[in-house]
Amino acid sequence: MNSGNTVVIWLLSFVAVGLFFYGLDHLVMSSQGLPLNLNLTPVQ
Amino acid sequence: MRSGVAEAKFSNRLSRWMLWLLAVVLIVGLANLTGITLVDSVHAAEAVAEEASGHLPEVLKGAPELTAGDYPKVGNSSSRSVVWILAQMHLFFAAFVLAVPLFVFVIEFVGVKTRDSRYDDMAHEFMKVSMTAYSITALLGGTLAFALFLLYPDFMAYMLEVFGSQVLVYALLFFLESAVLYMYYYSWYALRYGNAKYVHLSLGLLLNVVGTTLLVVANAWATFMMAPSGVDATGAVTGDIWEIMRGPLWNPVNLHRFIANIAFGGAIVGAYAAFKFLSGRTKAEKAHYDWMGYTSNFIAVLSFLPLPFAGYWLMAEVYSYSQQMGITAMGGILAWLFIVQAVLIGTILLASNYYLWSGMSRTEGSRRYQWMIKYIALVLTCGFLVWVTPHTLILSAKEVAALGGSHHHLLGPLGIMPAKNIAVNLMLIFTFLSFQLYRRSDKVATVSWAPAGNALMVAIYAVAIANVIFAGVYYGYFTNTVYKVGSSVMQVVSTLIVIGAGVTIDALMYKGAKILPSEWGKVSNRSQYALFALPVAFTWLMALMGYVRSSVRGSWHVYTVMKDGSPDNYIPAIGHAGNMMTIVTILFLFCVLFVFWIASLSNTKQLPPVAE
Amino acid sequence: MGTLPKVLGFSLALTLVFTGVANLLPQVEGESPKEEKVDLGALTMESFVALGESTVSGKGTCTLCHNDLGRAPDILALNMVATAEERLADSRYQGKATDVESYLRESMMDPGVYVVAGFGKKGSNDTESPMPAVHKKPIELSRVQIDAVIAFLQSKDGNDVTVALPTDAPAETVAAPAAAPAAAASAEEAVAKYGCSACHTIFDTESPVGPNLTTVASRLSVDEIRQSIINPSAVIVEGFPPIMPPNFAERMTVKELELLVAKLAEMK
Repeated sequence: MNSGNTVVIWLLSFVAVGLFFYGLDHLVMSSQGLPLNLNLTPVQ
Repeated sequence: MRSGVAEAKFSNRLSRWMLWLLAVVLIVGLANLTGITLVDSVHAAEAVAEEASGHLPEVLKGAPELTAGDYPKVGNSSSRSVVWILAQMHLFFAAFVLAVPLFVFVIEFVGVKTRDSRYDDMAHEFMKVSMTAYSITALLGGTLAFALFLLYPDFMAYMLEVFGSQVLVYALLFFLESAVLYMYYYSWYALRYGNAKYVHLSLGLLLNVVGTTLLVVANAWATFMMAPSGVDATGAVTGDIWEIMRGPLWNPVNLHRFIANIAFGGAIVGAYAAFKFLSGRTKAEKAHYDWMGYTSNFIAVLSFLPLPFAGYWLMAEVYSYSQQMGITAMGGILAWLFIVQAVLIGTILLASNYYLWSGMSRTEGSRRYQWMIKYIALVLTCGFLVWVTPHTLILSAKEVAALGGSHHHLLGPLGIMPAKNIAVNLMLIFTFLSFQLYRRSDKVATVSWAPAGNALMVAIYAVAIANVIFAGVYYGYFTNTVYKVGSSVMQVVSTLIVIGAGVTIDALMYKGAKILPSEWGKVSNRSQYALFALPVAFTWLMALMGYVRSSVRGSWHVYTVMKDGSPDNYIPAIGHAGNMMTIVTILFLFCVLFVFWIASLSNTKQLPPVAE
Repeated sequence: MGTLPKVLGFSLALTLVFTGVANLLPQVEGESPKEEKVDLGALTMESFVALGESTVSGKGTCTLCHNDLGRAPDILALNMVATAEERLADSRYQGKATDVESYLRESMMDPGVYVVAGFGKKGSNDTESPMPAVHKKPIELSRVQIDAVIAFLQSKDGNDVTVALPTDAPAETVAAPAAAPAAAASAEEAVAKYGCSACHTIFDTESPVGPNLTTVASRLSVDEIRQSIINPSAVIVEGFPPIMPPNFAERMTVKELELLVAKLAEMK
């Protein structure tokens, strides 16, 4: 396996897992009736 | 006239509890003779039921209101302390004997699947340890029931009125449990191979079904006392037995105790293995008990990891049942004990990590991972320190005076829940990392996608850790309370995903892996002390959490329904409770040593006298 | 040494560590509920308000949630008369109350009628209150105690008390105000009574939370000492948090205050 391939694998892994967790956070928060609220707006 | 009524009430009460006492004594007496007298005892139990139902009142009757005078005083002893010790001892043993068959069944099954007789022998040895413990459980249960009826007769009368025939179902299940247990254990070698083995496995399954049913039936008593259901505001029974049992806390407690029992049981047999390892003379003996200790630790740690989440669910249900009760537990007088809890869980995590690291000496392959240990140790230590940082508490004036301010001026930001949530989740993730490294240390993956799998695993760790920290810091410190609670779920899910993904990826990636040479028994004596630290901490922790669970009721026997009028109807201070926990832990320790001794006695054979 | 003694020693030592931790923590015992008779005939408005105050922190367990941690509206910090008037004027208000007194009573006995925005049960969109009705189990305040709490809430910010003293009812069993403390007879007693030493180094106890008082007279005049007790936030010593309770003026008797000031003025 050449080194370029390795870098791609690592990058892909991180991107995929990152997206997965982002979706997951969305899911977890919305199942509790909350937005993800990344812009620091206090609720109510 | 008045005294006549009182007398009638008394003799009524007396006759009822004498009958129940009789039933209890029967249960205890029969625990060792089950097979022979099962039929008789069913008749006896039925007779008791008829007798008891004759006393049931026609109109709805609430819970009695009691004053200090209604509680019999026996000698100078504190009734609460007596019942406390007996109940805790009974629970320790019950947890142990219910848990062992659960993992024994799994190990036996693994033995069948892998056709490796070592598993079968180990499973049998685990059972052997729990057999003596079973009799002790029954004895303690009987003594506890006796003490309860003697010291809290009106309360017990009320509980019997509420639960009625359910108690008889419990008694019947107990007989069944004993019967199946003895059959399972003593038929081990009779039903060892071929189809007979599956008969034996079915017995094991039946044993666990009965055992778990026993557990949930008994749990209903405790959860009814905390959050009664199926009764009206005065305590009069309005629902059927199912409604009474199915209170809001029943299932959370069921799950929590079920998992905790397995962790506890694993820790105890781990101590057995460690003891045998240390006193073992031959290499074969050492190798066998090293492996047994390792398996026990595996069971204890793996079932310990999801426990905080079960606890989280339980506390969430407590809050939604009664905010007042939740706050009493987490923010009032009892909040202090979560510092002790942190010390205990910290001990458990550090001990099990230490054991895993020591165990890496069994194989050369562990060299690859050894550099990570110091970082894991660092994270665990920091997490532990954050966790024991005193919590920001809701305090009464008296407490503020004792502490000197409600917030610690320097450690304030670390003393709030988000910081602790980060710490706990990171400790769990890194403990799992230790575990995973250990599992990998004697293997080399041979599948073609191993580098990708590895990258994926590293990415999951990195992102999950980042997510845990982000959720805690961002939502915990920069937004309001609603988010704090919401984000803690996020952290929990992250941790669970690491554990789930780790187990899955490794299972696939190390299929048909190259196994590096490793040697059981090649482990330091010192590492075995971690296997003693675990059960000691587990035992103490269980006693501690029992104290919380029981104390949140405050001065109620049955929360909101039946007041506790006894002289001990207050929440004891943590120091006093700690002393009680130490007493029960030490008592349990000695009983367990006795059980170990009995178990090893059956292996000892006296040589026949040599004729001269 | 044999295996058994070593293992036993190790296990016992570990147990003792845990016991030690438990005993090192501040020891607080829960209180048994004590029902004492209050002679309603001898009740003055002052002792009635005091009964309300002790009920709020004691039997009523109100301060478990109603505190500054955001679980419920902070009834001790808010001016409850003004707050009640605002709530009554709120378009969301659907209850039957017409004045402050009836609003407060309704809020205690039927908390779900009006839920303050943001404090409803999770997921109920502020339609359900997590608060238990205080006259029911497990809190079970009596009618007199509920009135006393209202009187306390009205009077604590200097508003008029509209609740009538209970006179008609037969002597009712209610919790007495937490052992209505006797006035301190010396400065030392006053220090103990008001818990000064929890934060300040004074006499022979030490605490780093607040300024050291053993040399206070070298820094402050008699009037400044008096002011620091009555209105602690007027001057905050640099490096200390402004956390001293501002209500000593209401809680101390004049004699206690003067005893303290005189004693502190001697501490050079």
